[in-house]
Amino acid sequence: MSDPITLTEVPIAAAWNVQGNASRADFTDQVSLQFATSLPTAPNTTVRSDALTAFWLGPRSWLLVAHRPESPLADFTHKRDALNRAGGALFDLSASRVAYQIAGEHAASVLADGCPLDLHQRTFRAGDCAQSLFGRVNALLYKPDDTPTFIIMVARSFARDVWQALRQTAAQYGYRAQ
Amino acid sequence: MTEPFRLQAGGIVDRSRPLSFEYDGVAYQGYAGDTLASALLANGVHLVARSFKYHRPRGIFSAGAEEPNAMVQLARGARTEPNVRATTQELYDGLIASSQNCWPSVRFDIGAINNAVSRLIPAGFYYKTFMWPPTPKWWLRYEHAIRRAAGMGRSASEPDPDQYEHRYAHCDVLVIGGGATGLASARAAAHARARVIVCNENHWWGGGSFDAEIDNRPESEWIAEKTVRELRDRFDVTLLPRTTAFGYYDGNLVGAVERVTDHFTTAPAHLPRQRVWKIRAKAVVLASGAIERPIAYANNDLPGTMLAGAARTYVKRYGVRPGSRAVIFANNDGALADALALQAAGVQVRAIVDARPSSPLSRLIANRIPVFNDAEILAAAGKQHVESIDVAPLAGGPAQTIECDLVAVSGGWSPAVHLFSQARGKLRYDDAIAAFVPEASSQPIFPAGAANGCFDLAAALIEAHNAGVAASTRAGLSAPVLEPPHAKRHARSPLRPTWSVRARSKSDKCFVDLQNDVTVNDIALAARENYQSIEHLKRYTTLGMGTDQGKTSNIVGLAVMAQLLDVPIPRVGTTTFRPPYTPVTLGAIPGHEVGAHVEPTRYSSIHDWHATRGARFVNAGLWKRPHSYPRSGESEDDAANREARNVRNHVGVVDVSTLGKIELQGRDVAELLNRVYINKWDTLAVGRCRYGVMLREDGIVMDDGTTSRLSDTHYLMTTTTVNAVKVMQQLEYLLQAEWPELDVFATSVTEQWTAAALSGPNSRKVLAKLVDIDVSNEAFPFLAVGTCNVRSVGEPIPARLFRMSYSGEMAYEIHVPADRGRAMWEAVIEAGEEFGLMPYGTEAMSTLRIEKGHVVIGAEGDGRTTADDLGMGKLVNAKKWCIGKPLLNRSALTAPDRWQLVGLTALDGAPMPRAAKLVADPDHAAPNPMLGHVTSWCFSPNLDAWIALALLADGRARHGETVWAVSPLVNARVRVEVGSPVFIDPEGERLRV
Repeated sequence: MSDPITLTEVPIAAAWNVQGNASRADFTDQVSLQFATSLPTAPNTTVRSDALTAFWLGPRSWLLVAHRPESPLADFTHKRDALNRAGGALFDLSASRVAYQIAGEHAASVLADGCPLDLHQRTFRAGDCAQSLFGRVNALLYKPDDTPTFIIMVARSFARDVWQALRQTAAQYGYRAQ
Repeated sequence: MTEPFRLQAGGIVDRSRPLSFEYDGVAYQGYAGDTLASALLANGVHLVARSFKYHRPRGIFSAGAEEPNAMVQLARGARTEPNVRATTQELYDGLIASSQNCWPSVRFDIGAINNAVSRLIPAGFYYKTFMWPPTPKWWLRYEHAIRRAAGMGRSASEPDPDQYEHRYAHCDVLVIGGGATGLASARAAAHARARVIVCNENHWWGGGSFDAEIDNRPESEWIAEKTVRELRDRFDVTLLPRTTAFGYYDGNLVGAVERVTDHFTTAPAHLPRQRVWKIRAKAVVLASGAIERPIAYANNDLPGTMLAGAARTYVKRYGVRPGSRAVIFANNDGALADALALQAAGVQVRAIVDARPSSPLSRLIANRIPVFNDAEILAAAGKQHVESIDVAPLAGGPAQTIECDLVAVSGGWSPAVHLFSQARGKLRYDDAIAAFVPEASSQPIFPAGAANGCFDLAAALIEAHNAGVAASTRAGLSAPVLEPPHAKRHARSPLRPTWSVRARSKSDKCFVDLQNDVTVNDIALAARENYQSIEHLKRYTTLGMGTDQGKTSNIVGLAVMAQLLDVPIPRVGTTTFRPPYTPVTLGAIPGHEVGAHVEPTRYSSIHDWHATRGARFVNAGLWKRPHSYPRSGESEDDAANREARNVRNHVGVVDVSTLGKIELQGRDVAELLNRVYINKWDTLAVGRCRYGVMLREDGIVMDDGTTSRLSDTHYLMTTTTVNAVKVMQQLEYLLQAEWPELDVFATSVTEQWTAAALSGPNSRKVLAKLVDIDVSNEAFPFLAVGTCNVRSVGEPIPARLFRMSYSGEMAYEIHVPADRGRAMWEAVIEAGEEFGLMPYGTEAMSTLRIEKGHVVIGAEGDGRTTADDLGMGKLVNAKKWCIGKPLLNRSALTAPDRWQLVGLTALDGAPMPRAAKLVADPDHAAPNPMLGHVTSWCFSPNLDAWIALALLADGRARHGETVWAVSPLVNARVRVEVGSPVFIDPEGERLRV
């Protein structure tokens, strides 16, 4: 019997959508000043810094997810105004998504029940992210490391349905929910 | 229990694991590894079905998916399933099956009267007969009777208790087929480091070959112990037994269905019954084998008649003798080898009837078995089982009768090209094997082995190996040097195309399509009546239209037609192969998406609170919203009326989290708003909000909502619940494609904020207790926007506060981050208790907005109405352009008789009928000229009257008039008075106090 699947809700303490033109230095300087991170410019990749992970969402759009609990509204207006002045935008999305971690040998199979993407280690590597569907729900997928572990982020209102579907599929392999 | 026809040894069945099963009420025994068909044959049961039209007795004809006869009704109750092929249904302990299409029993079937009168019901009989009298009504009556007589099995009438699922998969090389050929391809691809998936229809590995040696090992050992194990353990290969690739779609997408638990007595609850695989492959190897063909002679449908390869399969694969005294009728060498296999298993082979002249192999066999060369079987005889056959020389002459209980027939083999053809591959007719073979496809599909017309194992293995290498190369991988598997070559004599034997008498039935009872005579009739195109032939005679889709009959049928027309077979051509290859259980097609899961459901963060307070929910888009909160003994309507009254008299709170919310940032947001809304936005100050209406390009109202200015460069737009996605898409399209020069960024924040609307004369009192800012009318007037903190258990909750009103009362919206939504809601409920606060649902909200004359996109804004129709013409700013404005002046949009928004009050104390149309005279003969229609209606507890909003021709000029609201649906007619759509507080004083 292989290792069971582990399903875990990963709390998101703070998350922001940053938008702007990554080829403009005033914008990227301001992001770096406010969040101490660079932004990934290659599609479907991430940049992990000490405090947060930056996900590529589109040519002008990123999702920043904080690693540690922090108040999303601390300094929000200050940061927003600074980015607006630099020709960019900052939206608080801290409460808008729910993240689940699926880990274990068959983690990719569990996701393959609802996600049409190829999540094989050859094509979806550590640090990669992708926006796709899980069932009929928009999902942001992320592979944090080289182990068979995935993180799926979905809009809060869909989370209950997605969690149920993950559990139902994971039950085939045996799972622990945390 | 004994199985009289089971061999002592041999085959894949596990004799240490006996299984009990029941067929037509009789208990039998089989073994693990059996199919239902092999287990029935082991028990000497051949008669398993009655035919579709003539109700003739039928037996097991094949050993695979091509089976036309042996279809049974499997299981009982909610899990019963009709038309299950006994030849592919794996046996399990406790299996229950019964014959179908017969009454009272398969041995004595009343419907067999059809056989006696068959001359009265030729092909096309229904078309010719039941078109009189020529009204559809009569056909419906006939159809009812015909369907009962011709029905197949019965489907379950209870809901399907099983789960099904879908699974996406990706690979470099998909191999379809689990025989030696498919495995040789998989092996070559695996060694090239390809990601491989192998779909194998059967529960065992191996194909049409049994006794060969591959790489100096017995074939079964090479397959099971070596190759399958090696592929599974050492390579990135997914082996899928019990999986049928049923459809080949564009972009090398292959659909396959895996029967996960159909072989379990009791399926484990955590497993789906079946799983549909959607496999995206870079290249596909088609190793689907070949299907043997029958030869049409009189009574070739008697039980005890089967394909020669099937007879051998029962002996070799399942250790079952399909008869005791056999006659072989063949036109190829393969069937001669089958005869030897039968003889070796103890079957007395009484004759080989070979349509060909004497060959080296037949001379070799002739010492052991009587061989009739250049001969054919004219007819078989028997009642419910074959008892004898008549063999005669092809050249004519007297027939000789040979007694037998098994006729093993082989008219040659046709490659299973179905998936190749679905892949838009072209077929070529190969005279050497008298069959269509794959030629070329625009998709990367590599046919190999028998599926490619290569019937020699040694050659097939090499071809398969090369196909595996080619597929890997196509997938971008480089194959290492690897020897293909080796087997001994066999010299073969060519086959002689043999489709039907010469006719003996007109009444003989020489079957081509066993499932649909199509005979050689039927094809001849079609030819005489000029239904000569293969597509016409198919539809006129129903040849190949059964659940088996003519797997054994199509080629024979078109060859018979070619003979009748005296044209080459390729000129007749084949019918189109379409998915699915074999029937797919309906439940597998939607997978999880059934019942409540047809669409996902969205829940507000306050949902559980609503549920525990007894809320009845209503669907709004994908959302569940509280309809009302009935108290014990209270109806939903009463609850909604109480809630609506309470808002006007005291205060209520409603969950409005579902409204679409879009944040906009940038220097040009006001310009964007000017372009998408009809009204003007550059005057909106920070800390204020405004109502706006959006048009489609054709000038029709698309959506409405409010937009607030949170900072110099930061705005929040709200949309209706249902149009949230559409508006966001529209903005993204405009910003990316039409106006990239605008400095505006947009993101949806619907999910970020939980929103509660606090409404009623006491709303400020509640709010003052809750928040840490001054909410007096002076400090926070109508249409003000600000931020505050909501006092709650635990940390104060940061919030956005809006003073806007949908109900027409003094009202506020509180938005907090969704993870604090429930805490905010509970704080509001607690703070409001002393002021008479009640939660209210969408029904009360609707009542309140109807009383106030607020329109809803979807009801009043029905995709045909303009802003002016809705009484908002003055909002259209004359000095600026916006989407839809240039087309507003079209004559039809400014015509005087446009339907305009009005309010209606029911007279005479009658309830407002639902879905009513407005007419001047309810007694007017139909069609009654329509003046307009009711768009929203309710009982207004605050006016104590039935009221409605409606669209009425030239409605604004008709205030004070009386018209009729009539509803033919509910047979209602009510006199209504036309008036202003705003029933309550027309001056808006309550909003501003």
